[in-house]
Amino acid sequence: MSANGSISPSTLSLKDLPWQIRWDKEKCTLCGRCTAVCPVRTLELGVFRKRVVKPNIHISHASSSSFEVYYGIRQQTAPANACVGCAMCTLVCPNDAILPVRGDEADKLVFHVNQGGTPRQRGGRRNAPGGILDRIKFIRISMLTDPALDAGRHEFELRTLLGRVLPPEENLAHLRENGWIPPVREIYPLIIGGMSFGALSPNMWEGLQMGVAYLNEEMNMPVRICTGEGGCPPRLLRSRFLQYVILQIASGYFGWDEIIHAIPEMKVDPCAIEIKYGQGAKPGDGGLLMWYKVNSLIAAIRGVPEGISLPSPPTHQTKYSIEEAVAKMIQSMYMAWGFRVPVYPKISATSTALAVLNNLSRNPYAAGLAIDGEDGGTGAAYNVSMNSMGHPIASNIRDCYLNLVKLGKQNEIPLLAGGGVGKSGNLAANAAALIMLGASGVQVGKYVMQAAAGCLGSETDRCNICNIGQCPKGITSQDPRLYRRLDPEDVAQRIVDMFLSFDTELKKIVAPLGRSTSLPIGMADALGIDDIAAAERLRIKYVV
Amino acid sequence: MSDRYYRISGKSEGTRLESRVLEELIQQAVEQGRRHIEVDAFGQHGIGGRLWKAGSEAVHVRIVNQPGQRVGAMGSANTFIEVMGPASDDVGWLNGGAEILVRGHAGNGLANAMAQGKIYVAGNIGARGMTMTKHNPRFAAPEVWVLGSVGDYFGEFMAGGIAVVCGIDPQTPDNVMGYRPLVGMVGGQVLFRGPHMGYSTADAKSVPISDDLWQWFLENLKIFLDRIARPGLFERLSERGAWQLLTARIPQERVRVERLSMSAFHNNVWDRELGAGGLIGDLTTIDRSPIPLVPTGGLRRFVPVWENRVYKSPCEAACPTGIPVQQRWAMIRDGRVDEAVDMAMMYTPFPATVCGYLCPNLCMQACTRNNQAMVPIDITQLGRASINAKAPVLPAKNGKKVAVIGGGPAGISVAWQLLQNGHEAVVYDMSDTLGGKMAAVIPETRIPREVLSAELDRIRKVIPHVRLETALNRKKIEQIKAESDAVVVATGAWKPRTLPVPGKERMVTALDFLARAKSGDIVPGKRIVIIGAGNVGCDVATEAHRLGAESITLIDVQKPASFGKEREEAEAAGALFRWPAFTRDISDRGVVLDSGELLPADTVVISIGDAPDTGFLPETVELERGFVKVNEYFQTSDPAVFAVGDIVRPGLLTDAIGAGRKAAMAIADLLSGKEHRPDTRTVIDKKRVALEYFDPRLTGFDGMDQCGAQCSSCGNCRDCGICVAACPQSAISRTEKPDGGFAYAVDEALCIGCGFCAGACPCGVWGLVPNSELPA
Repeated sequence: MSANGSISPSTLSLKDLPWQIRWDKEKCTLCGRCTAVCPVRTLELGVFRKRVVKPNIHISHASSSSFEVYYGIRQQTAPANACVGCAMCTLVCPNDAILPVRGDEADKLVFHVNQGGTPRQRGGRRNAPGGILDRIKFIRISMLTDPALDAGRHEFELRTLLGRVLPPEENLAHLRENGWIPPVREIYPLIIGGMSFGALSPNMWEGLQMGVAYLNEEMNMPVRICTGEGGCPPRLLRSRFLQYVILQIASGYFGWDEIIHAIPEMKVDPCAIEIKYGQGAKPGDGGLLMWYKVNSLIAAIRGVPEGISLPSPPTHQTKYSIEEAVAKMIQSMYMAWGFRVPVYPKISATSTALAVLNNLSRNPYAAGLAIDGEDGGTGAAYNVSMNSMGHPIASNIRDCYLNLVKLGKQNEIPLLAGGGVGKSGNLAANAAALIMLGASGVQVGKYVMQAAAGCLGSETDRCNICNIGQCPKGITSQDPRLYRRLDPEDVAQRIVDMFLSFDTELKKIVAPLGRSTSLPIGMADALGIDDIAAAERLRIKYVV
Repeated sequence: MSDRYYRISGKSEGTRLESRVLEELIQQAVEQGRRHIEVDAFGQHGIGGRLWKAGSEAVHVRIVNQPGQRVGAMGSANTFIEVMGPASDDVGWLNGGAEILVRGHAGNGLANAMAQGKIYVAGNIGARGMTMTKHNPRFAAPEVWVLGSVGDYFGEFMAGGIAVVCGIDPQTPDNVMGYRPLVGMVGGQVLFRGPHMGYSTADAKSVPISDDLWQWFLENLKIFLDRIARPGLFERLSERGAWQLLTARIPQERVRVERLSMSAFHNNVWDRELGAGGLIGDLTTIDRSPIPLVPTGGLRRFVPVWENRVYKSPCEAACPTGIPVQQRWAMIRDGRVDEAVDMAMMYTPFPATVCGYLCPNLCMQACTRNNQAMVPIDITQLGRASINAKAPVLPAKNGKKVAVIGGGPAGISVAWQLLQNGHEAVVYDMSDTLGGKMAAVIPETRIPREVLSAELDRIRKVIPHVRLETALNRKKIEQIKAESDAVVVATGAWKPRTLPVPGKERMVTALDFLARAKSGDIVPGKRIVIIGAGNVGCDVATEAHRLGAESITLIDVQKPASFGKEREEAEAAGALFRWPAFTRDISDRGVVLDSGELLPADTVVISIGDAPDTGFLPETVELERGFVKVNEYFQTSDPAVFAVGDIVRPGLLTDAIGAGRKAAMAIADLLSGKEHRPDTRTVIDKKRVALEYFDPRLTGFDGMDQCGAQCSSCGNCRDCGICVAACPQSAISRTEKPDGGFAYAVDEALCIGCGFCAGACPCGVWGLVPNSELPA
C-alpha cells in the first residue's frame, strides 16, 4: 500500500492477510510468469525506492544520499485481491523465488470479506481439517481366525448393490402380482458424486467420464459417476457410456428437457437416478452457479440464457410433504425409464434423516438413500453454510443403518455415504469405515478433484475460489484460457490410478477381515476408536 | 539292497510313534553312523529333514508307507530322500540342499520356500507348489521336476530356482500349470510342456529357451527320468518345440503392463462412441486442447493497453478550468517552453493572475505526489511565466454572434473561448474596463498590479467591450438577446449580504471596503472588526493591516471557512479569529455580541457574501435560491441564455473561468448545430502511477525544468521507454507516427500478460485488462 495513504477500516497490511508472499529479490529473474498466472491478481510488479546514505566524516567532503530504484514482486492487500495461497506463482517460478506462506497471526481478512454487505461465498469444504473418520481404526486383524487373504494377490470382487433388494418372498410376490421387481445394479462401492457440468469445466467433466468409461471397459471395474444437477451433454445421453452414469435431478431441473428428448434415443439405461434434496456442503441451499460461469455452452446444456446466475431453489417446488416428495418424485423418475432404472434420493446429513429413511423403507420403489455429510465439498456456497451447517456423516449413517437393523431391512435399502471422504487423503480408510458403519457405498467428489486434477483447495482455506471461475487448475472454470490447462486424458488417467490404488487399499483393509467377495457393510465389530464418547455414539469399540 | 538299510518303524508295538520320537530315532541313527535308513512312516511330520549330523557324508532315507507333511523339511545337502509312494503337503519345505524323490503324486505346498536341493516327482503335485522359492548365489539353484501337472497358484512369490513341469499324464490335461500361476514371481525359471490357461502376466513373461538352458535341460532330464525310472520318456520330452519357458519380469518391465493407453482409449473408444470432438463435439467447435500455464497471444488472461491520454491526470481533473497541466510539463521536458506557456491561452485568459497568484491551485492539491508526502509540482512557476504568453490569433469570424453580459472573469472566459472558436463575442459591462472584481477588489498584496494589468491588456486587445450606459433591465436584455444568437449572463454577485441587526447602517461592506482600499479611499482606523471570517474577510483584514489597523478581529458564527493564502496573510497581519460569535447590534463603539461583550471597533466590515442581482433577467430564466438555475453546460431554462460565474454559484476564480470555458464549448456546439459532446474522460487511478522514480527529499523546485522533470506525468506517456526495458518478453516496441508523435505497441505473439509494463510505468499509462472473452 501507499506509504502515506489514508486508511479505511478494511485497509490491511501484509501481516493481516492469511497468506503472505515471500519473494526473494536475489533469486527473482523478473520473468513475469507469477504475475501472469496469479488467479486473483494479487501479484504485480512493484517499483521500489532504495535510499543509500553516503556519509563522510571529513568536513571537507559533503555527506550525501541517493536513491536507487529496483523492481520486485508486490502483493496487493485489498480484500478483493488478497492472496489465496494457491501457489501457482511458485509453480511457474523458474528460480523458486516466490512462495505464499500462511501468516502467523490470526487472519484479519476474515473481518473484511463482506465488502458491500455480501457475505463470503467460496468453494471447497468446511474449513476444519481432520475428523472422526480419520480416527477410526480397523481393529479386527483376523489372519488366523478367519481365512487369511492376500490383499495383493488374492482375487477380490468388491461390489455393492444399488437398488431395492427385497426379501425373496416379497420379490416373488411382486413378480407374481405386479410382474415387476425393483431393478438392482451391482456396482463398485466408490461412486463419483454429483459435480455438475457447469460447476466443473468441460475438460474436467470429460476427463472424469472418460476415466470412468475406461475403468468399466478396460479394467472391468463397474465404477459409476453422478452428473450433478447441470444436465448431461446430449452425446453422452445417447452413448453406451450412459450406463456408467447416475443422472441427478435437483431443484434447478437444469438440462432435464435434453434428457427427456434423449430417452427414446438412448442405447442403454443410465445406472440410476439420484434425486438431490440436499447437499452436505450447504444444507438448505441450492446450487449457486454464478453468471460468470454460465457461458453459451453451459447455457445450452442447462437450457437457460447465457450470462445469468443460476441459484437453484433450496427445495423442489412441487413437493409439499415428505411423503409427496419421496413417493411422487420416485414414481415419476421410475416411469421415465419404464421402471428399469433405480431411483434414490440424496439428502444432506441431518438429525431428521431417520424420518426420511423410514419413509423410504415403506416404499418398495425407493432404491436407496444417499446422505451427504457436513464435510462435503462444493463449487460455491456461503461460507457460513459450509462452515457451520450440517451434520457429521459418521453418526448419521450409523443411526440410519442401526435403524434398518432394527427393522430387519439392513440388506434391503442401500445407504450411500458422502461428505469429507478422503479429506485428509485417507480415502480407502474413510470409505471402509463408513462401509463398516453401515454404508453400502461411498460417494466422493472433492477427493476426486484433488487426486485427478490437482485441485489445490484445502480445509485450511487454501485457494477455494471455485465459485469465481478462476480455478488456476482449470477444474472449475468455464474460461478456455484456464480449463485448457487441464487435459481430459490426464484426468482420466488419474481417475484410473485413483480407483486402482483405492481398490488395493480397500483390499488391504478388508483382507485381514477375511472378506473378499462381499463388502463388510455394517461390520462394526471391526472398528475401534480411542475416544470413548465417539465409540459409544457410533457403537463401535473403544480402544486405547 | 534293502538289507543295507537300517529300518526304523513309525510304529512301536502297534502304536504310531509321535513325530518327535521318530525324529529322535532318525537323528540317533545318523549320529551312530547309519547312512542308509528306511523309515516305515505313519504320517509323521518332517521325515528326512535336518540330517546335518552326517556332515559331508551322504545319507539316504527311504520312506515307505505314508509320510506326513513336510518330508525333507530344512533338508541338508548330501541327504537323499526317496518317498516310495505319494507324499503329503509341503515336501521339501525350506529345503537347504536335500534331493527328494517322490515316486507317486505330491500334495500341496511342494518346495515352499526351498532354496537349495532338488525335488523329483513322478506324478502330479497339488496347489501352491514351488512358492516362495529362493536362489542363494552361494549355492546351486533349487530344482523341482514334476512329471505330470501342477496344482493352482503354482510359483507364487517364486524368487529363484528352476521348475520343470513335463505334462505327462497330467491331472488337469487342459491346464498343466493350474489356475493363476506365478502371481508375485520375482525370480527363477519355469519350463513347462502342455496346455495352460494363463499365468500372471504382471509378474511373469514367456521367453525363448536358450541353447545353454536346453543343454542343461537335456542333461538333467536324463537324470530326472533315471530317478523316476522312466528313461523311455526321454525322446518324447526332448522335443524342444513343445516346451515353453517363463521367467519373472523385472520391476522396470512391470511398469509396462499391457494396458490400453488413455490416449488410445480417447481416440479409439471414447471419441468413436461419442463422435469427433468427444463429449461436447456437437455443441461447440472451440479448441479444448492443452495449453501451457503462461501462454501468449489470444490465450493470455490479461492484455496490456497503452492508454496514453485516455484518462485525465489528477491535476487536470482537479482544475475547474480544465488545463491539462501534465501536458504543459511534458512540453517543458521537451524544451518547448514557449509552447507550454502559450498553451494556457487555450484554456484561460488569466494564466499568470490566476494560476500564478490568485488560485488556491487545486491542481497542486490533487497532485499524485501528495500520496507519498512529496511536494506537489509547483504550477505557480509556470503560471507566472505565462505572463509572456502570446495572445491567441483569432480565426475568421463565422457569423455567429454571442453577447456576454458582464466583464468579470467568467464573462471574459466565455468571450475568450468563443472568439477563439470564430464567434463574434461582445462583452457588455457597466465599468470602464474589463476585469470585474479581480480588478476592483482583490488586494495588490495578492496580485501585483502589473501582472493583472498585463493580462487585462492582453484580454482587451482580443475582446470587444461595450460599456453600458444605464443599469441593466429586462428590456435591455431582451434587446441584446434579439440581436444575438446567444446570450451569456456573467454579471456576478455584487449585492452584499448584510445582517438585520440594530446599527447595521454603520457597517461597511467588504466589497466597498476592498474597492476603496485599493483606490486608497478609506482609512479603517486602529481597530477593525470584520463580521464573516471567509477569504474575503481575510482580504479585508490584510488590507486593513496595510492601511494601519492594529487590532483586527474576524468573527464568525461557525468555524471560519477561510483557507489558503488569504487566511495565511490575514493571520500574518495579526488578525484574531473568534467563533462562534453572534452579533447583537453595532454601536458607535463597535460590535456587541449576544453575550453582551463589546468588540471595540473604529470600522466594522460585513463580509458574509454577496448575492447576485437577477432582476434584469428575462422571465424565461428560472432562478433557484436567488441564483440562476443552469444545467451542467451552464444553459439556463431559456435555451438561448447561458449563465456563468457567481450569478450561478459563488466560487473560485478558476471556477468562473472554467464555467466560462465549458459554456463556450456548449454554445459553440449549439450554434453549429452539433450534439454537445463534453469531455467524458475520467481521472486516472493514482495507484497506477509509480512515484518511486522521483526524489522524495525535494522540498521545492529550482525552476520549471525541475518541475517538469519531477512531474510523474500521470496518464500522459513520458516516452521514457522503461516499459520496453521492463518487459520480460521484449514484447513492447515504440513507433514513430507520421504526425511526429509516437506510440508504444505490444506484440501479442510475445506478450504473456504479466503486467510488468503497467507496474513499471511511471505515468500509469499502461493498463492491464482482461483479454476478450473466448467463445465457449
